Amino acid sequence: MKVSLTVNGSAIETEILPLLRLSGFLRDVLGLTGLKEGCCEGECGACTVLLDQKPVNSCLMLAFQAQGHEILTIEGLGKADITGLQQAFLDVGAVQCGYCTPGMVLAAEGLLRANPCPDEGEIRHGLAGNICRCTGFETIVQAVFSESAVRQGMGR
Amino acid sequence: MMPLAIAVPADVAELRAAIVSSMNPVRFLAGGTDMLIAGRALPEAGLLIDITRVADMAFISTDGSDICIGAATTVATVASHPGLRARLPALCNAAAQCGSVQIRNRATIGGNIANAAPAADLMPVLTVAGALLRLIGRDGMQSEILLGDYTPAHGLITDVILPGAGLLRRSAFVKLGPREDLAISRLNLALLADFQNGCFGAVRIAAGALSHAPLILSFAEAALSGRKLEAAVLRDFLSTLAAEVDAAIPGRNSQLYKRRAIAGLGLDLIAQALGLSPRDRLFEEAVE
Repeated sequence: MKVSLTVNGSAIETEILPLLRLSGFLRDVLGLTGLKEGCCEGECGACTVLLDQKPVNSCLMLAFQAQGHEILTIEGLGKADITGLQQAFLDVGAVQCGYCTPGMVLAAEGLLRANPCPDEGEIRHGLAGNICRCTGFETIVQAVFSESAVRQGMGR
Repeated sequence: MMPLAIAVPADVAELRAAIVSSMNPVRFLAGGTDMLIAGRALPEAGLLIDITRVADMAFISTDGSDICIGAATTVATVASHPGLRARLPALCNAAAQCGSVQIRNRATIGGNIANAAPAADLMPVLTVAGALLRLIGRDGMQSEILLGDYTPAHGLITDVILPGAGLLRRSAFVKLGPREDLAISRLNLALLADFQNGCFGAVRIAAGALSHAPLILSFAEAALSGRKLEAAVLRDFLSTLAAEVDAAIPGRNSQLYKRRAIAGLGLDLIAQALGLSPRDRLFEEAVE
């Protein structure tokens, strides 16, 4: 079947198998391997992408369901350079093995787009669908706080 | 058998036509957050109908006497709808505690019902609210059925109706899970109640994860209905909650901790419904 969608700002039209997951389409067809298919049951969040600005698990969505929608993966977040949010993750050491990081960053980006000034509880609630087994989450929360302050003009 | 066909109807007329015209088995797909979990068999033949693009299946109407919610409405929309929060905050609270942000952005109220998980968070609230389901059957005919009588064999859920006459002024939802967020309920409770001048009027309570479907806790309801809010009444209430657990899951490994845990959940339920602090002295007296 045919699907037309926008991925990282580029219009794409292609033939796909009906039961191809969005995660498989992005990784195996388009080569966007930043997202990871960790658990394939909505627990780990490593496959998180933004669908029309909102975080979703790309492993729990069929690719044809993205027809007409806009998808943002980690590769499209900062095309020329890394974004301030990604820099904040680096600055506070919120990246260790890196497996969860693309999904974590996109979940955080979705949170900040919906709620530019989250408190700690809102950050933890907003990132609850992303599991990190290295950092212990403290530095990730710090990174999101830091980027939230920058976006409100309060500096890092 | 013909290979799997996909239909993406744009409106209810197309949806009905797709259901009726298929000579093969029909499956429905909405958010996919339960259907697409790894290890679950996906249909290889027949017709798979994606209902997420059907106009008028994703809406919340709270202006009339009844509340009406389209079955393809996402759980995130249910959680954040101001009109719904004004009339039935427990349903918004339950939705806000379903899965993760990612799950809530895709999962639908119809899917939460049709998936029939014993721990489904919306189900106890819909049960105490006396929900009716509007369906389209395999013959294309529309019908209505009580939530508790529904099985997927009855057809596709198109609307969830909460009759206005059954909506009481106070409502609450609480859950116990293995962690604070993204937790499948080990136990959850929903309550609707009238409460005036320090006394309960009508009370309806249902529990999830104590049976295959939400369990109406009629003895716990009776322990509160028509009675004054005081420590002695709450002690009776807690005793009946433990007895309800004993009756529901006798001999199960989880019985021992659930009969204790339900006491804390029960007091949280009352506190939320009445706008009290869970640390209110009244609750301390009730457990002394």
